[in-house]
Amino acid sequence: MIPQTNIAPEMDTVLSAPVIQLKNVSKSFGKNHVLKDFNLDLNKGENVVVLGKSGSGKSVLIKCIIGLIKPDSGTISVLGKNIPELNHTELDKIRAKVGFLFQSNALYDSMTVRQNLEFPLRRHRAKMTKSEIDNLIIEALTNVGLAHTVDMQPSELSGGMKKRIALARTLILKPEIILYDEPTTGLDPITGKEISNLMCELAKKYNTSSIIISHDLNCVKIVANRIVMLIDGKCYAQGNFESLKNSTDKQVQQFFQ
Amino acid sequence: MKLTAVRNFLNETGDISRFTGRFFAEAFKPRYEFAELLRQAFFVGYKSLPLVAVTAFIMGLVITIQSRPTLVEFGAEAWLPKMVSVSLVREIAPVITALICAGKIGSGIGAELGSMKVTEQIDAMEVSGTNPFKYLVATRVMATTLTIPILAVLADAVSLYGGYLGANIHGVVSWDLYWNQVFDTLAFSDVLPSVIKTFFFGFAIGIIGCYKGYNSNKGTEGVGRSANSAVVVSSLLVFILDLLAVQIIDILRLT
Repeated sequence: MIPQTNIAPEMDTVLSAPVIQLKNVSKSFGKNHVLKDFNLDLNKGENVVVLGKSGSGKSVLIKCIIGLIKPDSGTISVLGKNIPELNHTELDKIRAKVGFLFQSNALYDSMTVRQNLEFPLRRHRAKMTKSEIDNLIIEALTNVGLAHTVDMQPSELSGGMKKRIALARTLILKPEIILYDEPTTGLDPITGKEISNLMCELAKKYNTSSIIISHDLNCVKIVANRIVMLIDGKCYAQGNFESLKNSTDKQVQQFFQ
Repeated sequence: MKLTAVRNFLNETGDISRFTGRFFAEAFKPRYEFAELLRQAFFVGYKSLPLVAVTAFIMGLVITIQSRPTLVEFGAEAWLPKMVSVSLVREIAPVITALICAGKIGSGIGAELGSMKVTEQIDAMEVSGTNPFKYLVATRVMATTLTIPILAVLADAVSLYGGYLGANIHGVVSWDLYWNQVFDTLAFSDVLPSVIKTFFFGFAIGIIGCYKGYNSNKGTEGVGRSANSAVVVSSLLVFILDLLAVQIIDILRLT
């Protein structure tokens, strides 16, 4: 029996109905049960960090939320729609409102920074004019402080710059929700801190809600309103940074030592 | 051990068939990716042209030079343009073009889609409201299917020119005489089947390259393996399709 250490979240933000609600979500790959009746609510304006060991199913979790992986059972409600039941067209409409920052940045190697940012715009906002697209690209790049890279190739950028460009591409559609898959992994502590601060800044500016998968405690400390601990496929414990850090539970303590 | 190998082979054959079925199910439904199709056709066709042309020219030249002594021995030197044109147009130019493309394009597609898969670019495309199968696979398969026949026809012409130069190294054949003999010999039944089979070669190269890349896993090692097996399997398929084409042409008495 897994001990439940549910700690009430301390939130500064005024909350309303959850924008994401996961109920009894299960997913297994062969005999590996990654998620077992997992439950999670993300409220509007909230930044929730999902903390767990490597291979514990954190990335699977957010890929289920965006509809890249279909869960075996359970409901995933995003902005009121149950993701596993949606067809491609309905899923695309939801995806226009949900940004996803990939762990590997997933910038298209064959395209320039401009073309990378144009790609989601041309797909989701087909009726936009060239000048409207250009303005949005410059705005998104200015937000991440990289307006000068517009005509560069991703291979010419550093790791931190790539992460910023990927963040700009995620933000260009002005999503209501952003899913971050290990946003600071592979970056030095200073750049990691810059990215974490940028995430907070942009969340305030665009009033977004976020689920963040991270191992980096410095990042977690900066961005998290609430932390959910994913252990053995279940929500083992949740609470804010301080309350989990001071927890006496051994499994929780392992992450904060 | 042997049973596992047979099972893997059958599994992969089934997966490739399903992948091909998905291509037909998705490629002809809107939204059509014309811009990407043109871009791919440019890469597949235009960028492969120099390599195909040089290879075809050398093959035409070499086949002519090597065939000449045998024909001279029988006093049939005058038949050189006839014999060379039939071998080049029916078999050598289409197959050489397909093999060059399997090496150049098949490996390129396998590696590109493989690295896109392992760096999550394919997932990013899906999240951006794009059907990656349609955008990446359908366009590449169509591009190879449509451009490899054009390359093969160009290879026919260039290899025949190589043959003309080859015929003139040790003997003398005038420009007019050479081409008159070539066009007298070549019939509709020589050219058409050889062009038709190149559509199948192109399709096989595209679908195998895309299948291997799209299903790549295990990181960068997997990308290398995808590129490598794309070349091996598509080259083998070119020969198998060629064998089938010969049998069909034979049954239809087109030879």
